[in-house]
Amino acid sequence: MKITQREYKQAIVLDLIGDLTYDNRGTFKEAVERVKASACRHLIINMEKVQFLDSSGLGLMALMSQNLKLNHIRLSVVNPQSYVREIMNLANIAKLVPIYNSEDDAVSDRGRAAA
Amino acid sequence: MAIPLPPSQAGVSSSASGPSRSGTSILLIDDEPVARRSLAGRLTKMGYRVLEAVDGVDGLAAIRREHPDLIIVDWMMPQMDGPTLCERLRSDPELATSQVIMMTSHDQPEQIAEGLARGADDFLSKAASKQEIVARVQAGLRTHALVRQLERTRDDLDCSNRALVGKQRVLDEDLASSARFVHSLLPEPGAPAPGASMAWRYLPSLTLGGDLFGVAKWGEEHLGLYMLDASGHGVSAALRAAAMVTFLHPDNLARVVGGHDPVAIVTEANRRFPMTADGDYFTLWVGALHLPTWRLRSVSAGHGGAFLSVPGRPTTWLSQSNLPLGFDPEAGYVALEQDMPPGARIYLLSDGVYETMSPDRELWGRERLQQVVEARAGESIEQVIDACFEASRAWQRADHFTDDAAMVGLERNREASIVKREQ
Repeated sequence: MKITQREYKQAIVLDLIGDLTYDNRGTFKEAVERVKASACRHLIINMEKVQFLDSSGLGLMALMSQNLKLNHIRLSVVNPQSYVREIMNLANIAKLVPIYNSEDDAVSDRGRAAA
Repeated sequence: MAIPLPPSQAGVSSSASGPSRSGTSILLIDDEPVARRSLAGRLTKMGYRVLEAVDGVDGLAAIRREHPDLIIVDWMMPQMDGPTLCERLRSDPELATSQVIMMTSHDQPEQIAEGLARGADDFLSKAASKQEIVARVQAGLRTHALVRQLERTRDDLDCSNRALVGKQRVLDEDLASSARFVHSLLPEPGAPAPGASMAWRYLPSLTLGGDLFGVAKWGEEHLGLYMLDASGHGVSAALRAAAMVTFLHPDNLARVVGGHDPVAIVTEANRRFPMTADGDYFTLWVGALHLPTWRLRSVSAGHGGAFLSVPGRPTTWLSQSNLPLGFDPEAGYVALEQDMPPGARIYLLSDGVYETMSPDRELWGRERLQQVVEARAGESIEQVIDACFEASRAWQRADHFTDDAAMVGLERNREASIVKREQ
């Protein structure tokens, strides 16, 4: 999995490319930890190019949301593909991490998926 | 003409008077005593421990006995000449890496080529200057030191490899033993309750899997069913899955939950199994089938793998949008309820069965699995499960699943089949 970091308005966006799975958990964790160490207050995970999310990836996302919350950092997910969205819906992940259709929606907290 | 020395005189050592190189040994093999002793004297003055031999046969014996760091051998000798000695060394695995400088009276290119081809590492003219002798000896010793270092590294690696192979064998035996234990936790196929038939297939991805399932009587009136998935792979996931199986044992449920209601079971499991510091957790599907009424109550905690197949009706997936276990200690769960008429089947399955990718990265998915099950509705549970596994494997064009693949089918027998069995 490839992860690139960029700024968007007041947030930092991590663009994920590939699968978020057991094998890639270290890469994802390191990228989030780097953001955590910065002065950022809102992290947006762009999942537009994530083809597959397994149970480990899902658990990591829940764990990261808890950790970031303790550090007063908002975590948002944007644009998950249909199957990834299905997996996230099944686990009701939106209850922990709000899911949006765009980065603008995430920044302004508009149109989040129902928890 | 040289006078051969008796074997007892071969390998004479000299004291070092030059720089401290007394630990470095050089064997001189030459049948001409004057030339041999002259060179031996020079090398001794340079601080080397010098051994001498009078011909190839004598030299070979000294090499086997002393393992010198460098060998300087004359080309022309009685009994065994220099090139023949080189060939003998190169064909002996214990001596093949010996460093050999061949001495010649001539430095014809053809002779040098032949000497190299037969196993010499370098050449030294008998008329060589002191500087050249020093340079060639030092070069030969450097090469020898490098070869010895390589051999020591190789020996260390061999030793480490043997230790690793031994440890791996122990680990493999432990894994196999653990896999047998995990397998022993799985239910016996057959008739788990009067009027019901059950079959399953289970293929763990790495010998040990984090997916487990159970079908067992819960009290007098209920048949309990569950499919759990401990996130991650391997030993850690299998251990956590085994812990959950222990929790889901009917006696334990009666003690810690006080009954067999799926909502109470999942709520208690959510409380007892928080997410680990590494982000590991469980998804779980639990169903309690009330046998007098064939009414099924089920709860899914983030697990998507259960569906009801009733003849003449659309397939019903028994999944809900609920948090997996351990995500939120306050999470609430609500049960789904379905009736199981005669001929109805419940299938439980791990996501490893349907989350398989084609070589061009297209997911097989639940819909395709459902199509296989619906197309084979008239066949036995075993045949349906086998067909699903076969179709999933064909989709990914692989013999093995990358994740644990488990599928269980439970059927409420049609009345006719019950009568037939009773007969």
